Amino acid sequence: MAQDTGGARDAGPWITAAKPEFTALIDDQQIVTQKYHMVNVPTGVWIDERGRIVRPNEVAFIDDRFKSFTNMDSAPYVEAIRDWVAHGAKSIYALSEDALKATIKPVNKDRLKADAEFALGTYLYKQGKGPDAIPHFKEAQRLDPDNWNYKRQAWALSDADRDYGTNFRKEVQKLNGKPYYEPHKLPEKKKGNDQPY
Amino acid sequence: MFRCLVFLAITVASVVAAIAASQDKCIVIYDGIATEISPMPESSSDLWITTIDLTRATRFVIKPQGVCRDELCFPLPKNRKAEFVLKKGATTWFNLSEFAKLINQPVVTDQKNGVWYFGARAAEQNGGLASFAAPNFTLPDLNGKLHSLSDFRGKKVLLVTWASW
Repeated sequence: MAQDTGGARDAGPWITAAKPEFTALIDDQQIVTQKYHMVNVPTGVWIDERGRIVRPNEVAFIDDRFKSFTNMDSAPYVEAIRDWVAHGAKSIYALSEDALKATIKPVNKDRLKADAEFALGTYLYKQGKGPDAIPHFKEAQRLDPDNWNYKRQAWALSDADRDYGTNFRKEVQKLNGKPYYEPHKLPEKKKGNDQPY
Repeated sequence: MFRCLVFLAITVASVVAAIAASQDKCIVIYDGIATEISPMPESSSDLWITTIDLTRATRFVIKPQGVCRDELCFPLPKNRKAEFVLKKGATTWFNLSEFAKLINQPVVTDQKNGVWYFGARAAEQNGGLASFAAPNFTLPDLNGKLHSLSDFRGKKVLLVTWASW
């Protein structure tokens, strides 16, 4: 699910090169970012056969190409997906209702306004009014400062240093060792045959 | 010199006409759909639109019980009705920006381009996730073919976002 304002122009070459055997969609309005309250990529959501969420938003690296940057090993997440595919609701990785309630938080007014500002900026950008979009992208970033999707997408649409006075590398450096993307919290799988299935 | 002056005069006239035209119309984006409408002239900072444009841009209709769309109905406070509905001659106007405040809907504007963007209400955006129902969406693949999340009912779905940036 590409979160790309540039649509097929920007996401298309990557999809073509990947030759996916799964459904690959292009979201040029960041609709999924808004509906699922996402703040970064790659983000994964597990959805069961009834259309219900069993694991909400979490970091979803499925290989190690960014490991030197994120310090995250993708193997546990991939193994967890396989476990859920095999065992469904009985998988130790499928969250209970109580765990879901504790994890899924409602969005606040600032996030809703940030979504609207970003969407207005996207509309103007697509109308060929890139410079007019920038104040709206900046306002979205101010209202939802932890939203890397809104930062990185906006920076990628123009000269970030010139128009925003920063760039991705500088902002990551400012984190001072704090993870760029919060690591997932997967339960530890027990060794041997003492799984509940 | 004379040719330059004539050109300048034509240019100034064109700019004035363009500004006038742009002030007559504005763009309302509601549910992600952009509609050009003619707002009430000189309506301060609020966006007053005709009830015809209200339905055209938002699908909402004014009914005795409130402002309604399908099953959804928002009653207007009786003592504040004049803040929302105004009859001028044969035209009935509706204050869409004040209505947004009433229903806790974020509104952002771009004055230069005359665009009003009405975002998702908190109840809309939080309702589905609170019941753990995965919000539905419909998006195209690289060939333009549309797919909805609901098409995958009966299968497990791993939804993963990524970006080229």
